[in-house]
Parts: sequence; C-alpha cells; structure tokens
Amino acid sequence: MVAQEFISQGINLPLPLFVLLVGGIISPLIGILAEKVGLVKLREAWMVIVSGAAFVSNYMLYQDLSTSEGDIAVRVIAIWGQNPPLGGCLEIDALSIYMAGSVAFIGFLVAIYSVHYMERESRLTEFYTLVTFMMAGMTGIAMAGDFFTLFIFWELMGLSSYVLVAFLKARWGPIEAGLKYLIMSATAGAFLLLSMALIYGMAGTLNFAMLADSLKGAATTPWLLVLFSTLVVGFGVKSAIVPLHTWLPDAHPEAPSPISALLSGIVIETGLYAMTRVLYLLFDPGVFKMPIALLSVLTMTLANVMALLQSDIKRLLAYSSIAQIGYMLVGLASGTAYGVMGTFLHIFNHSMMKGMAFLSAGSLVHEADTRDIGSMRGVGKMMPFTSLSLFIALLGLGGVPGTNGFISKYHLFAAAFGSDLAWLGVMGVLNSALSMAYYIRIMQVLLAPREDGLKVHEAPVLMVAVTFVMAAIIIILGVWPAPIINLATKASSALVEGLSMYIGAVLG
Amino acid sequence: MLPLSPFLVSVALMLVIGLGCLMIKRDMVRLLIGVEILFNAANLCFIAFSTQNIGFVDPFAHSVVMMAIVLDGTVIAVGLAMVLNVYKHYKTLDIRKLRRLRW
Repeated sequence: MVAQEFISQGINLPLPLFVLLVGGIISPLIGILAEKVGLVKLREAWMVIVSGAAFVSNYMLYQDLSTSEGDIAVRVIAIWGQNPPLGGCLEIDALSIYMAGSVAFIGFLVAIYSVHYMERESRLTEFYTLVTFMMAGMTGIAMAGDFFTLFIFWELMGLSSYVLVAFLKARWGPIEAGLKYLIMSATAGAFLLLSMALIYGMAGTLNFAMLADSLKGAATTPWLLVLFSTLVVGFGVKSAIVPLHTWLPDAHPEAPSPISALLSGIVIETGLYAMTRVLYLLFDPGVFKMPIALLSVLTMTLANVMALLQSDIKRLLAYSSIAQIGYMLVGLASGTAYGVMGTFLHIFNHSMMKGMAFLSAGSLVHEADTRDIGSMRGVGKMMPFTSLSLFIALLGLGGVPGTNGFISKYHLFAAAFGSDLAWLGVMGVLNSALSMAYYIRIMQVLLAPREDGLKVHEAPVLMVAVTFVMAAIIIILGVWPAPIINLATKASSALVEGLSMYIGAVLG
Repeated sequence: MLPLSPFLVSVALMLVIGLGCLMIKRDMVRLLIGVEILFNAANLCFIAFSTQNIGFVDPFAHSVVMMAIVLDGTVIAVGLAMVLNVYKHYKTLDIRKLRRLRW
C-alpha cells in the first residue's frame, strides 16, 4: 500500500501518476542544471528514468491489485481525501492499468529514441517537460474515476500535444498544423464540457460509477441522443474519426518524429479509450452499435483511399493511423467483451507497429533529409537495419500472419462476424487488403536500384536498437500472443462484464 | 428555483453563434473567440442545471465551472501564442491564407 500511493498534505495519487507529474515538474530544474553545469545529456537521462519508473510503477500497481484468483481488483483513490461522490477520484481497474502500461512502455522507448534524434534541436528542456506532461495526461485519463478528472487530464494531454506539434516553430508547416489541431481540438473540448453539463443535468453527478448505476439501461430519450452526439464529437476529434479527422494528416507528419510516434501510437488511442469507457458506462451497446459501425466503415475506407494518394511517407503513415482507428471501432461497435478485447489488443499492437513505423521513417527522414517517397528510391539498401524494421512494421500494419497486427485484426473481425455485423467484418478485411497496396509501394521504392550515387549512413545505434526492440515485440506477440491476449481479456471484461465491481467499488 | 428553458435557449444560441463564428470568420483571433463562446455555452449550461435542486444551489457544478474556465483560458493562451507565430511566418491573420497544407 505504501509503495503504490503517495500521500502527503491530503493529496493521494497512484504511483505512476505521481512519478510522471513530479517528473514533469522537476524536469525544468534539471534542464537549468544541465545548462549551468554542462552535463548535456542530463535532461535526456531524466526523461528516460521518469518514463522507465512510470512503467515499473505500473507493473507494481498491477502486482498489487492482482488477486489470488488471477483477477484484478478495482481500487478507488480519492485525490483530495473526500469520498468519491463528493470529491474527484481515480478509479483503477484492469483496463486502466492496461492503458497506463501501454502509455508508459511506448513513452519509455520514444524517450530513448529521442536522445539522438533531437540532439540537433534547441529548447530541449521544454521538449522533455512537455512529453512527460503528455504522458501524465494520458495516464490520468486512463485512471480517471469521474468525468471532471478525465476532463482535466484530457486538457493536460491536449495542451502538451498542441505545443509539441508546433515545436519546430522556425518552419511554417508545424505552426500551421498546430493551429489547425488546436482550433479543432479546443472546439471538441467545448463539446466535451457540454456533454458533461448534460450528464450532470440528467444524473446530478459526474462520478463514473454512479452514472453507470443510474444512466445505463435508461430509456432512449431525445436528450440521451443529444448527449451521445456531443460525446462522439467531443472524443471523436482527438481520436480522428473520419468526418472529424482533418487535423491529423497535417499535425502528425509535421511534429518531430518521436512525437509523431507518440501521437499516432497512443494519443489518438487514448481518445478512443476514453470514448469506449464512457460509452460502455453510460449506454447499452444497442444504442451506439449502428452509428459506431457506420463511422467505422467510413473511417477505414476514406483513410485507406487517401493514403493511396500520398507521396509523403509520414503523411501516408498518418492516414494509415486513421484507418487503424477505423478497425478499432469495429470492436467497439460489436458491443461484446470479445470485441472490446480486440479493440484494446489492437491499441497495444498498433502502438508498437505505428510507433516503430514512425520511428524508422523518422530515421530515414533524418538521414536522407527528405520525406518524399519518390526521392527515397534505393535508400533502403543503404540503411538495411532501419528499413528491415520499417518493413516489419508495415507488414504488421497490413495484417500479415506472423505479426501481432494479424492477431488483433483477426479477433476484431471475428467479433464483428459474431455479433450480426458480418458486413462490417467483410469491409474490414477488404480494407486490410487495400492497405497492403500502399505499404508494398513503400517497400518497393526503398529497395529499388539507385543510379545517382547518393550516400546515406545507417542511423545511430541507439535509434536502431529501439526499433529492433519493437520489431522483436511485434514478431514475438505475433507468434505467441497468449500473454497480451490474457491481459487484454482481463481489461475488456473489467469494462463490459465486470461493471458491477466497478460500481460497487464506489457505492459499496 | 429558476426556470430552466431561458437558459437552455441561450445555450443553444451561443452554440450556434460560436459554431457560426468558427465557420465564417477569417480572422484567427476571432476564431479563438468563437471557441471561447462555445466553452462559455457549456459553462452556462452547467450553472443552469446546478440551480435545479430544490432548496439549494449545487456547489459541485460551480467548482467544475471554475476549473473549466481556467482550462479554456490556458487553451486560448496557447492558441494566441500560435497565432503570433503564424503572423511571423505569413504576415497575415487571415486563416484562408493558411492553405499550404492540404489533403
């Protein structure tokens, strides 16, 4: 108990969140120290330590909450000491730990990668502080126990990501993309606040457990439909569901590559996580099944077609992220615990695959100094290790058997067939096939012969090492997926079937 | 207990004004003001619902709204900082000139 919570001055926080928030607050001081003393790598080391510690403390929390029967208990932490229905609270179940663990893991890998990638940039203190706070925001969203806490961490994540997208402000691209992202996301934030107000007007509380107790299963009234649409707009912009996706293909390519990996790998998935959590808490699956299924088809089809037309490698990967969000929505639309298991499995697998694709593409862009696929002709042969890992990531994204992308897509589409949405499963399989077209195009161009004698070096060893670790995870989880499926099953059943435990933890 | 419908009508009006502002204005600062109007609509909605208990006004909604005002203030501040940077690059505040990123 002592190890898992930090209790001081009446503020209770779970250890992962405490590590990230305090790490972010101390980070500027470390930056000043690094500049004064001249220990240039101190900031990078601090970021790596903080994200590593966050991952370890998530694991400790998991150990602490595991019961002897193999389940995961629910723990309620009252942040300000008052009991939940009155004050803000954090409610940690299997799903929270699963998401927070994914955030910390990819954050750790990206932190190691950034050491070399960002060394030519200035203002690194701000960079690492913002990344830490973005991770803290996502961890807080995963653990939030009431809507208001979720909103605060949502804005923490949002604010850090706006500034990180516009981080390379000397060029026009990041600034334009950042402003677009900010205006769209802030509008969505206003709709989220409006949906909070509507929930408050209906139920008189914002606590998730109490809302699930009172609103779930209520008769479908026009107000409930208004609430549903404001929720979809509020969460949908951050998670880039198609009519609301237009900021993503600008923002993700223009950010520095480690940030692209974080944004595509986990930030949009955190938006999807929040949407899944809130929809399953407030509505019966029958209410949101069809609208989400339609959004899912629209998202994957449009994104795959647009990705075919791209000539910029990072922009292509950004469109591919939107398509993957479409696949994840399939599991959400199925309305069963099995489908939600597929969604969360794909969230982790996609964070590995897309994170690695962006990191390898970042290495290519870093060394070849271009983002145009056409001018990367033949670069693959000069950077064999980087392109090998990029190929593994692309095959995984396309869903080739032997990679973890195949496993999670299999479960997603199987869930669609199992819940009277066969047309959705068929659309998903067709879209997967379509997406291979642009992944294979990248491979073909990178391996094509080159005449003009351009010399490109292999990326630094640390950057290659990170991508190799992720490639190993993709292959291992593709061949032996049992451990991650086990975790994802616990996470999804905590949300869909174990809801009474979630409610009981607060209401007693 | 105050009647609810006038408040809800004003919330709906503010939503329409805010979204309209986002759609038709070309000045970036005005766009941010449109976002602010949307946030205020949501805040007003919260406060209106908090008066609907018989005998007391719920302080919970007020504390939420106070924090929400702080949060949207910070978002707008970051937005204005970005508008400054846009002005440095493009020498204009017209959002329609920002169309180098398409597709």
